[in-house]
Amino acid sequence: MTLKDQLRDRLAALPAGGEQDIVASDGDQTLRCGLASLDRTGCEFVRLAVETPRLAGAATDRLQKIAADLAGRLTYLLEPISPVEVDHEQCVVQMRSSPPQKNDDGTTYYELLVRAGGELSLCRFTKAVGNVRQTVPAQVTREVLLRLAGDLEAAAV
Amino acid sequence: MGMRIDHDRSRFKEIVRGRIRQNLRKYVTHGEMIGRKGRDLVSIPIPQLDVPHFRYGKNGAGGVGQGEGEEGDVLGGQGEGGAGAAGSEPGGHILEVEVSLDELAAILGDELHLPRIEPKGQANISQEKAKYNSIRRVGPESLRHFKRTYVEAMRRQISTGEYNPSNPNVVPTRDDRRYRSWSTVSEPEANAAIVYMMDVSGSMTDEQKEIVRTEAFWIDTWLKSQYDGVETRYIIHDAVAREVDEHTFYHTRESGGTRISSAYRVAVELMESQFPVENWNLYCFQFSDGDNWGEDNNQSLALLRERILPKVNLFCYGQVDSPYGSGEYLKALEGAFGEERENLVLSEIADKDGIYESIQEFLGSGK
Repeated sequence: MTLKDQLRDRLAALPAGGEQDIVASDGDQTLRCGLASLDRTGCEFVRLAVETPRLAGAATDRLQKIAADLAGRLTYLLEPISPVEVDHEQCVVQMRSSPPQKNDDGTTYYELLVRAGGELSLCRFTKAVGNVRQTVPAQVTREVLLRLAGDLEAAAV
Repeated sequence: MGMRIDHDRSRFKEIVRGRIRQNLRKYVTHGEMIGRKGRDLVSIPIPQLDVPHFRYGKNGAGGVGQGEGEEGDVLGGQGEGGAGAAGSEPGGHILEVEVSLDELAAILGDELHLPRIEPKGQANISQEKAKYNSIRRVGPESLRHFKRTYVEAMRRQISTGEYNPSNPNVVPTRDDRRYRSWSTVSEPEANAAIVYMMDVSGSMTDEQKEIVRTEAFWIDTWLKSQYDGVETRYIIHDAVAREVDEHTFYHTRESGGTRISSAYRVAVELMESQFPVENWNLYCFQFSDGDNWGEDNNQSLALLRERILPKVNLFCYGQVDSPYGSGEYLKALEGAFGEERENLVLSEIADKDGIYESIQEFLGSGK
């Protein structure tokens, strides 16, 4: 059973409410989803990550290909996500919303890290003028969350 | 007695200076004069000034009271309107005036109330200088010493009895000619080295680099007006750093992650190898969006505290806002050094309008 299918079942089984963590495994892949809230149609997640040993020791070239592939897939988040920085020393590709969302309160954006250690993680940050950046829950429908899980799972292969 | 034109010229210069002063914030912010920078002069467009001047006409093309027409003819007449409406924009009379960098620095210093810098320690860099302090019998005509030449000619004429006090014509011959000559002396000078460091990682866009470029121009202008000799070095970094030339500094964009410590390491090597702290007044200006990759902050702060701050007159960190807002490094510096920041100045530059205040913060300490 894929990670996406497991997540669908877990969401269906969970009661609506506040913070809840979901962990699902399929072979050597693990999905971790930290929910801030859940209701019938949508949810807020703080972090969505897929861990896989298949990316352990991967070169940055491979990570960049994965990042480019993800940039092509994640077209449904209202903010296109694309690679911004590549750290060759630690083998990490940093992807962010391009452009980020700006409003009176500051700047809000998605950040997706593709790490050679074997992790793809997605968070949403907000940065108000004069304050440090903070993680904020990303609001998505259940359908979008499942689609995200499916895309991260597929990219981590 | 001074000539009238000299008086008018100095009055005109005063008007120009006044206009520059009035619009200094605009010039500082927009950096439009940087592209017009010559070796020692910058051209500044001043739209509100126009100088009256004479223009020659075309010879033989007629003049007042010449040409066809009879006395009493109506001039001009009612012409038919051409196509198109009259322009609504003001005419473009832009006068460009040339201002020396020293003058510009003086205006900047006055307007921002910048204290003059007191060089650290003794001036102990020796600079070779040519001093015209002797006279020779040979030399280029451009260096001929007229007074000495005539004195020599007079002396010759007196000694040979040719000189007639009632008709004192003194005509120098070739042997009478005397020329200025120089000798090389070494003079102690207070010298300064400026090290610019810029983050060129993927999150720094061209707009941020333009802010850095504009601010660096003004910093350069001020420091060069304060020291006899200024050496400038440029370091760019993403996850790795290297020393580059000025053009590369402002026109490079990398996609790497941000590791500020890499720039600090190169700066330390540079200062230790080329600018010993005993002889140089050292200035470091670092610009970044502050998005340092988390675990690098500790290394960066340690390098800054132990190996850079003890050496430099001033370390200025300017944090420019990237599209993702301002990063965390400024807060890390504030947290690490608290209020006791003797030679560390921090400035947050939200946009181009923030350059003016940032320069004031950086250079206002008089170090």
